Amino acid sequence: MYKLTVNGLHKKYGQHEVLKGVSLKAKAGDVISIIGSSGSGKSTFLRCINFLEQPCAGEISLNGELLQTVLDKKGSQRARDPKQLQKMRTELSMVFQHFNLWSHMTVLENIMEAPMHVLGLSRAEALQRARKYLAKVGLNEQQENKYPAHLSGGQQQRVAIARALAMEPEVMLFDEPTSALDPELVGEVLRVMQALAEEGRTMVVVTHEMGFARNVSNHVIFLHQGRIEEEGHPAQVLSQPKSERLQQFLSGSLK
Amino acid sequence: MFLSGFGPLILAGTWVTLKLSLLSLILSMLIGLAGASSRLAKAGLLRGWATVYTTLIRSVPDLVLMLLLFYSLQLGLNQCTEALGMEQIDIDPFLAGVVTLAFIYGAYFTETFRGAFLSVPAGQIEAAIAYGMTPWQSFRRVLFPQMMRFALPGIANNWQVLIKATALVSIIGLADIVKATQDAGKATMQMFLFAVVGALMYLLITTVSNLLLIWLENHYSAGVRKAVL
Repeated sequence: MYKLTVNGLHKKYGQHEVLKGVSLKAKAGDVISIIGSSGSGKSTFLRCINFLEQPCAGEISLNGELLQTVLDKKGSQRARDPKQLQKMRTELSMVFQHFNLWSHMTVLENIMEAPMHVLGLSRAEALQRARKYLAKVGLNEQQENKYPAHLSGGQQQRVAIARALAMEPEVMLFDEPTSALDPELVGEVLRVMQALAEEGRTMVVVTHEMGFARNVSNHVIFLHQGRIEEEGHPAQVLSQPKSERLQQFLSGSLK
Repeated sequence: MFLSGFGPLILAGTWVTLKLSLLSLILSMLIGLAGASSRLAKAGLLRGWATVYTTLIRSVPDLVLMLLLFYSLQLGLNQCTEALGMEQIDIDPFLAGVVTLAFIYGAYFTETFRGAFLSVPAGQIEAAIAYGMTPWQSFRRVLFPQMMRFALPGIANNWQVLIKATALVSIIGLADIVKATQDAGKATMQMFLFAVVGALMYLLITTVSNLLLIWLENHYSAGVRKAVL
């Protein structure tokens, strides 16, 4: 039984086809890294999974439940029932490249917001969850009443991860979570993500961090020009790449 | 005797001005929110109508619009009542004033809010949507509070202009500050004194509302890092 399956996803911007049938299957506890050069479609693919961008074709199921879609006039998929999509999104929390913490809310408010107003938890329950996950990402109560603008990038991204965890999601989606960080802050975020992986959380991670892809994930997908060029276990894919494209990509990204 | 006994009349006039400006403010802000949403909507027809509205209204003087709207509202109503064989209904000047002012200032608020909506980073809304919020929730919980910070300077500006524009309603027969002080001035032959009193009343209203707006600006600036020079 797969937690998340994505089948034959296509996405076009006008005439330009950015995804040409990309599929993914994630079992519970899988950590899947999606790598590829910029423009390969990896972020678009991740954003299509929770319909932040609408694919043109393809199927997405979570826990065996297929997201029902209809095609709009422009040929993009829309959720047939917005409620189903909203529910699915609560089970697929996303961590963004630029954190996207709500800037008018404190750390605590950011984490409690969706559990209270989307999941319908009481304030006390949400607060308890928020504190629990803040501790998990290594932030203490001194930080909880600060606004995002007063935190470092690494702290903001850890708050964003706590916000995602507070939804207690089925699958976590990470969209280049360390790409906007200063090099010395990357480590603190990767360590949190590694701890989550070790807990057995299901994660799909778009990343440029080859170390993370190699050491933490159990499956690597290499996207090139909107297609899966190569995929498999990281030890195999990253150490003995078969395709020439991947060899080129790896020789460019690993020193 | 204080203000030659015209004190109560002027206070009543001030109250009319206050009611008129507050009601017009609320209504014009609602029109502005709807207008801004239309101008930013995907549907071309909505966008077109909102653009025509703001362009037309902002290009014609308030006074001219007020006369146009006031008379056309009455004329339109007369045609309706005539067609239905009913007696003529006279539009309450106060109501006409509120509707007219709201319609005019709604155009300015449309532009104020449009600019403010555009200033909120797209990632903020994306996060709201990605966490399962409905469109209304993401508007209410994320977009609106963030947009207000960018809109408040414009709102403050429009509000001040709107208060002063209420003076125009005296021409459609409302007993506002201008009408009351003019009447008092004519009766006592002290036009200058009462003009000053009228001016002071407006100054009082704008000063108090500026204090309120400063408080609001602080409220909606929570979480914004201020540059220290």
